[in-house]
Amino acid sequence: MTGGPRMESANDPRRHRLRRGRAAWLGLVPILLFALAFELLPILMLVHSSLVTDDGFGLGNFGRALTPTMLSAFANSIQLSLVTAAVGVGLGGIVAYAIITTRSVMVQHALTALADVTANFGGAPLAFAFIITLGSTGVVTLLLQAIGIDLYPGFRIYSVAGLAIAYVYFQLPLLILLIIPALLGLEREWREAATSLGATSVQYWLRVALPILAPSLLGSFLLLFANAFGAYATAWTLTGPDINLITVQIAALVRGEVQLDPALADALALLSIAIMAICVAGYHFLTGRVRRRAS
Amino acid sequence: MKRAAAWRAVVIVLFLVFMIVPIIATALFSVSTRWDRTIWPEGLTLAWWVKVIGRSAFQDTLGNSLAVALATVAVSLALVTPTAYWVHLRVPRARPWIELLALIPFGLPGVVLALGLIRLYSNVPLPLINTANILVAAYVVLTLPFMYRAVMNALEAIDVRTLSEAAQSLGAGGWRTLLSIILPNILPGVVNGSLLVFSTVFAEFTLANLLIGTRFKTFPIYLVEFTRFDARQASALAVISFLFAWAISIAVLLLAGRGGYRREATGGR
Repeated sequence: MTGGPRMESANDPRRHRLRRGRAAWLGLVPILLFALAFELLPILMLVHSSLVTDDGFGLGNFGRALTPTMLSAFANSIQLSLVTAAVGVGLGGIVAYAIITTRSVMVQHALTALADVTANFGGAPLAFAFIITLGSTGVVTLLLQAIGIDLYPGFRIYSVAGLAIAYVYFQLPLLILLIIPALLGLEREWREAATSLGATSVQYWLRVALPILAPSLLGSFLLLFANAFGAYATAWTLTGPDINLITVQIAALVRGEVQLDPALADALALLSIAIMAICVAGYHFLTGRVRRRAS
Repeated sequence: MKRAAAWRAVVIVLFLVFMIVPIIATALFSVSTRWDRTIWPEGLTLAWWVKVIGRSAFQDTLGNSLAVALATVAVSLALVTPTAYWVHLRVPRARPWIELLALIPFGLPGVVLALGLIRLYSNVPLPLINTANILVAAYVVLTLPFMYRAVMNALEAIDVRTLSEAAQSLGAGGWRTLLSIILPNILPGVVNGSLLVFSTVFAEFTLANLLIGTRFKTFPIYLVEFTRFDARQASALAVISFLFAWAISIAVLLLAGRGGYRREATGGR
């Protein structure tokens, strides 16, 4: 996030004329007030109410909030996020490598543009497109039936497996956009050096390329995980309340469909934030390190 | 060498099929008379499109979504552009803090932000909960990463300090410098950020559903309602949202060629 050209130097005399000391911080009051009102206070409110119990501060609410239903909601969300992030990194990495090693520059540009556009798809229209495609009378379902492959009833698009396919649809292009800069950073000379020292292609990938790419891959994996974990619109459109994900449970609590002590609902929300925060912080740390090394 | 080329072609074709088939299927479905028993549509018709577009609810929800998206862009621009300029020029020490504010929304699921806002403001006598105001505020937070990064990257690409000093030595004040000197120089970045904010807000379902619900229907909410009872008309609505996303992404890509930036993560799933 940081980086870029630094225009000023520390001993530049003009600095003092432009700087008016602490008063300059006043210019940040509008954004700080806004962020306080609509970003920080809502989070702090949840932190506070989930930590307050009958006998002072404590973690009691978390223990009581994690009923078997909620535990399984967390388990489902984590599993769905792990699987779609892993598939996204694995398949997306291969597609990204295929894209950057294609000789035709036009094909490269077209595929990158496709990834750029489809990474913006998601939510309700995407979920619905998958119902049309892979639903019980979906287009591809019918096509496969015609050649003798019956998807139903073994598979249902309205299930966790179906949801995973829809998630992969937005995970793949996101990974491609994230990883292409790192792949382009692999110097051709490194491969030539490895080959001239007698390394096979597999050895080059395992001993040279993958260790260099590891921080980018891991960082992207974490961001994809968070991307899936916080998703709600796709799941809601595809499966409604039938699927037990933590975001679906929290939304039901917000709408008042499920009655629960507010403190317990807030504890669930705080647990989700904690999981997301670990992922986003990890992503930030790993890719920040990559960028520093690159410059 | 030949085997390597074949491997690449297979990967790319499979990727294309997976990414494009759902979109083409939805588009074809929206112009089919019936397509649930046969391999190909039984006939083609524009009836569903005519029906969908003629509805006043369609026009209202589209209008609501456009209004909310434009309002979000306006508030975000007014808030982020002066702040980014100020941080860059005068208070570089505040930069990590502002960047933290622009990072937090990545780690904030829409359902959680909605819950926090409702807890905080449901008993406050301000025109917030159940109005479009709270939705715009929530969207400004949700899209803060996109707008901030776009504007900051554009500022880093120009010599802000020299331009500001030149303007000020000619007698321009702070706001005048920002609006008539800096802004024209970072315009591609600002437009880029605005387009990303616009497309995210236009497609957003979660916050709209939880913060306002049926009182102020946006286009995605209307679409989800339709998916529950009329698949053909819903498919026409889905195609309209895809077209919007395509149009905006293409505009962003065209701009990106001129010192833009690329979004690194998404919102509003």
